Amino acid sequence: MADPIHQFQIQKVIDLPDVTLPVLGTVDLAVTNSHIAMTAAFVVIVGFLAAVTSNAQVVPGRLQAAGEGLFGLIDNLADSIIGQEGRKYFPFVFTLFMLILGMNILGLFLTFTATSQLAITVTFALITFGLVLVVGFAKNGLGFFKLFWPMGAPLALRPVVGLIEFVSFLLRPVTLALRLFGNMLGGHVALKIFAGFVVSLGLLGLGGGIGLLAFPVAALSLGMVVALTALEFLVAFLQAFVFAVLACIYLNDVVNLDHAH
Amino acid sequence: MASTHTNHAVPASVEADLHAETATAAEHGSGGLPQFQFEHWAGQIGYLLILFVILYVLVSKVFAPRLRKVMDERADTISNAVATARQVQAEAAEQAALAQAEVAKARADARAMAAAAKAHVTEDANSRQAAEEAVVNARIAEAETAIGKTRDAAMANVATIASDAAAAMVERLTGKAATSAELATAKGAV
Repeated sequence: MADPIHQFQIQKVIDLPDVTLPVLGTVDLAVTNSHIAMTAAFVVIVGFLAAVTSNAQVVPGRLQAAGEGLFGLIDNLADSIIGQEGRKYFPFVFTLFMLILGMNILGLFLTFTATSQLAITVTFALITFGLVLVVGFAKNGLGFFKLFWPMGAPLALRPVVGLIEFVSFLLRPVTLALRLFGNMLGGHVALKIFAGFVVSLGLLGLGGGIGLLAFPVAALSLGMVVALTALEFLVAFLQAFVFAVLACIYLNDVVNLDHAH
Repeated sequence: MASTHTNHAVPASVEADLHAETATAAEHGSGGLPQFQFEHWAGQIGYLLILFVILYVLVSKVFAPRLRKVMDERADTISNAVATARQVQAEAAEQAALAQAEVAKARADARAMAAAAKAHVTEDANSRQAAEEAVVNARIAEAETAIGKTRDAAMANVATIASDAAAAMVERLTGKAATSAELATAKGAV
């Protein structure tokens, strides 16, 4: 059976010479399958958005309606969670959402899923976390630390609760990155395993004799693959949406720090 | 060069099987997920950051404004259409009210006219009836007068006839005619 982990292997497609940067050390500039998957997602997203907006009509066509659906989804999300300033952060959340969605969905068509790479999901999480920190300090200055000071709790408990809040705040990028990574990894491993069953059991069945019993199991595995593929499409959308929702919630924490506490 | 890449399978590597074999062995021998081969991280992260920034700029400067414009335009169109529809509706309601008032007025006029005609006709009929009644009454009174006169005359004749009859009866019974004075006395005694 094919190794279900092999699909996550980074493979160089075009090898470029390494460069040595002052801080990072030696960086491999090779174009890998991950780069190609990201580029494909990027090109599809830009092409889609360009097609949607280049000839936008007041009465939308199908493509425009689809684009506006996604646009409106994130717009409403940012508006409802962050409030009046939601529009300012909309491009960020939308970019995040579209990139993750594009990479998730393309992963179901290509042999490589960019969002199943921890490096990618960590980057998304750190971008979000970094923006939250930047906005938090830019808007509130040192008042940013009020985020960890629970005014609702009894005075004696505040340091304890505050410490928990602080730790959970620091864990946010970890959970963001691992949630997306885990979902993509698990889904694709499961798909690969069941698809592998189809082939190996099918070959067993071709041997004839008692091996013929393998055919029904192979058919069952094929059914599982179909069902899991449908589920993975749902997960692909849902995880992108969850990432966007959490990004909005985290941004709301620091944007409306004074109102909430 | 080769030493830095022990962990990837280099496709179409001319550097012989030895290298490929060690690479494969390292890949699967480590047992971990390929995602934890950190030498691939920097390239992916850097590339993703570049893509993210480009897409962010495109979304915030091109795509979002374009779509917002269209959506605002649509909202304007819809609100205008709704406002126009409201206005038209209000006008229609106004006109309907006017028409209704006109109908009510016409109905009232018609009713008044009908009432007037009726009154006129009734009055006419009444006066004609009164005139005819007067004529008839006059005729009745005339007839009654005539009847009264005839009756009086008849009553007067009755007395004469009675006294004549009495005189004749007296003469037949007594053989002599009663005087008119006796007859008058007898008449008074009855």
